[in-house]
Amino acid sequence: MWPFSSPKASNTSTREDRQRCWDARDQYFACLDRAAVVKPGDEKPSRACGSEGKSYEESCAKSWIEYFNQRRVIGEAQKDRLAQADTQARNAKQ
Amino acid sequence: MFSFRPLRPFTRNLVPPQRLSFVDLLQKRCVGTSSKLPKDPPKQSLEPQRPQRNVIGTFTPASAALFIVVGVGLFWYFQNEKANLLKQREQERMSKAYGRPHVGGPFSLLNCSGSPQRFTHEELVGKWSLVYFGFTNCPDICPAELDKVTAVVNELGKSNPGLPIQPVFISVDPARDSPSIIRAYLSDFHPSFIGLVGNYQETKSVCKAYRVYFSTPPDADPKGDYLVDHSIFVYLMDPEGRFVEAFGQVTEKDEMAKKIKEFVVEWSK
Repeated sequence: MWPFSSPKASNTSTREDRQRCWDARDQYFACLDRAAVVKPGDEKPSRACGSEGKSYEESCAKSWIEYFNQRRVIGEAQKDRLAQADTQARNAKQ
Repeated sequence: MFSFRPLRPFTRNLVPPQRLSFVDLLQKRCVGTSSKLPKDPPKQSLEPQRPQRNVIGTFTPASAALFIVVGVGLFWYFQNEKANLLKQREQERMSKAYGRPHVGGPFSLLNCSGSPQRFTHEELVGKWSLVYFGFTNCPDICPAELDKVTAVVNELGKSNPGLPIQPVFISVDPARDSPSIIRAYLSDFHPSFIGLVGNYQETKSVCKAYRVYFSTPPDADPKGDYLVDHSIFVYLMDPEGRFVEAFGQVTEKDEMAKKIKEFVVEWSK
């Protein structure tokens, strides 16, 4: 098994592995924010965030990458709705 | 005043004043007097106007005062009783002597942490348990929840030293989570964490008892890379092994610790 094991954390999940993955993810997402891209992958045509993306894909398991990406997209959509709900609540209080 | 009084009404003073009823009043006015009083002389106009005691009847200033005092007393008494009743109801609600959800039940799993080798629901007896269902391949939620439980156990260790509390981790991913993997995983959290795992049937059975949803299929690939969808709660069980409360993700560690302390006090009564 060991010659084929890749550096990315697949089944082993220690605090360091997790932290490494989260940090790589945070850097990649911050880059996407700067490029004003919501869905990870949309920035590929413009070749932005290449190195961050690579490091992200290496540090995290595929299932985790899918999960984080989906959450990012949903989170963006929710932000609008939450902001609307917030203003509604504030208006109602007046 | 008294100098105008003729002799006859003087005798009238010797007689105790009668309490007249309404009927008597009518009779006296219309027919003349059939009361027990001695016959009044027609010179009633000379008589000083006596207080209208017969009209007022029993309603004297003294009785009015007594009425008010008793009324106020009763009012305060009932206010007090009402407050006490509300307090009692609040306490009963806290102790949850009835209406406890049917969470928890018999289960039997392998103890990854060593002894006893088989961990059943009976091991929950005698200790306060915080049970969390998760899997080691969890991206962020399980680690966050386990960190929260670790912090709560540490906090309770300081505030309630000697309180028997055991955090329990039950894996909902039996295909991939072997005892050694779970042991390694739990080493990142509180040292007293107990890791449990079973085969698919045992996992299904304990999840059913605790009303936990989990999405692992029976034929999951042990080498697969998948995430397990599962309900995210920390279940507090009391030293009788009965369910007390389920803490969700929104409950912060301070609130959780505070509530557990309240439950401990309530239970000790």
